Amino acid sequence: MASVSRSDLRRVAARTWLLQATWNYERQQGLGWAWCLAPVLERLYADPGRRQQRLAEHTAFFNTQPTLASLALGAVANLEEQQARAAEPAYDGVARVKMVLGSALAALGDRLLWFTLRPFAACLGVLFALGGSWTGALALWVCYNAVHLTLRARGVAWGYRLGPAVLGQGLRERLERLISLLSEFGAALVGVVVAALLVPGGEPQSLTFQVTLAGGLALGLVAAQHARPSPTHLALGAGGLCLVAAWFR
Amino acid sequence: MNLPLLLTLLLGGLAALDATPVAQTMLAQPLVTGTLLAAIWGDWRVALETAIVLQLLAASTVPIGARTPADYATGGVVGVGTAVALAAGRPFSFTQDACAMLGVMSGLIAALLGSAVLRWQRRLNEGLARWCESRLRAGEPRALGEAHRAAVVLAFALGVGFSAACLGVAIAGLDRLAGGESLRLARAWRLAQPLWLGFGLAQILHLFVQRRLSRVAVFGAALIAAWLVLVVGSP
Repeated sequence: MASVSRSDLRRVAARTWLLQATWNYERQQGLGWAWCLAPVLERLYADPGRRQQRLAEHTAFFNTQPTLASLALGAVANLEEQQARAAEPAYDGVARVKMVLGSALAALGDRLLWFTLRPFAACLGVLFALGGSWTGALALWVCYNAVHLTLRARGVAWGYRLGPAVLGQGLRERLERLISLLSEFGAALVGVVVAALLVPGGEPQSLTFQVTLAGGLALGLVAAQHARPSPTHLALGAGGLCLVAAWFR
Repeated sequence: MNLPLLLTLLLGGLAALDATPVAQTMLAQPLVTGTLLAAIWGDWRVALETAIVLQLLAASTVPIGARTPADYATGGVVGVGTAVALAAGRPFSFTQDACAMLGVMSGLIAALLGSAVLRWQRRLNEGLARWCESRLRAGEPRALGEAHRAAVVLAFALGVGFSAACLGVAIAGLDRLAGGESLRLARAWRLAQPLWLGFGLAQILHLFVQRRLSRVAVFGAALIAAWLVLVVGSP
């Protein structure tokens, strides 16, 4: 019986770049998941009929945070290997583990990547860019991808090695610590950006600027408590009000 | 068509790809695309001022679950692209402020409209997925690769097409306004810029604080310390 090789795992990791290419409301990442896992299924199932059946089953509904999906892909590759060797494979178990891992990784990954790392990288980039430098974009890109690309590149192998236990206490605790650390530093970073806006190069901005910035902060904090209207609608409305105020002053 | 505009449209397509369908490396973030546009158009001041505002507004807009948030990938390209295209050949500071104001407004509108385009693209992907599944069950595993190629081409084409439509409308429609009403628009920018910056930073701070008073204290301490360093430390 064939077993999954390192090159298969590397091919799966490379394919995770297209995990969301066919994202849709019915199956969400389902088709992308099957596309990523295809090299493993090709290796494990010599019989084309059985391979196609497994591939078709993996197109079922699936959704998780796309970066951490690598861990789930590795773990499911491990399970598929076990089932391919089993005399009586239990594919229902694979589907259950896939769903449980997807939900758990989404809960952790959304907090780490979307709610913490992305705004942190954005703040860092803005701080550098305030002086009119191109390094801001580089800082944003490097800061985010140091975590994102590492998880994408190595996550499949980690998941394969640890199997369904990939999100055990060890990794979960480390990622939770990273979220907490980034949030603390992020709060400090926002403070530094506000100071850099108020006194750029040591010269205080005009009183109008300072008051309007404080107004924006207050409005933003109030708006953050409500889901609707969306921040983009509010920002557009605020811009419209500024235009009206400037026009009729 | 001139080269900077052509490269801007190409960047619109690449940003649409990076945002969701391919890689998600944050190439699509307004600060990154804005910096690239600054290099393409050679206007660093207008491009970065517009990009910073759009970046702070975009940072807290997250694509979780099945939500289709405002499309700041295209919004960033359209906003900064509009600002630098309008500012080209307008050297005065207040006309450049006027162009930045129009750029951010165009970017926000494009981001909101882009959300509807994304929903349409995802509906088209549903048809693609159904076709692919039927081919897979009929014993054609190649359909999986073909579906992915088609989805990538579709996302790129929609990104380029939508950027072209928004940039065309914005530049053609706002050029006269940027020239004729630049004083009023520059006045509006002086009001709106700090308001938007504060609004975006507050949204980000909310994500970090999560109702923990210790983090509010960290924010306050960092603000005061940085303010003192900047004021006392400067010559």
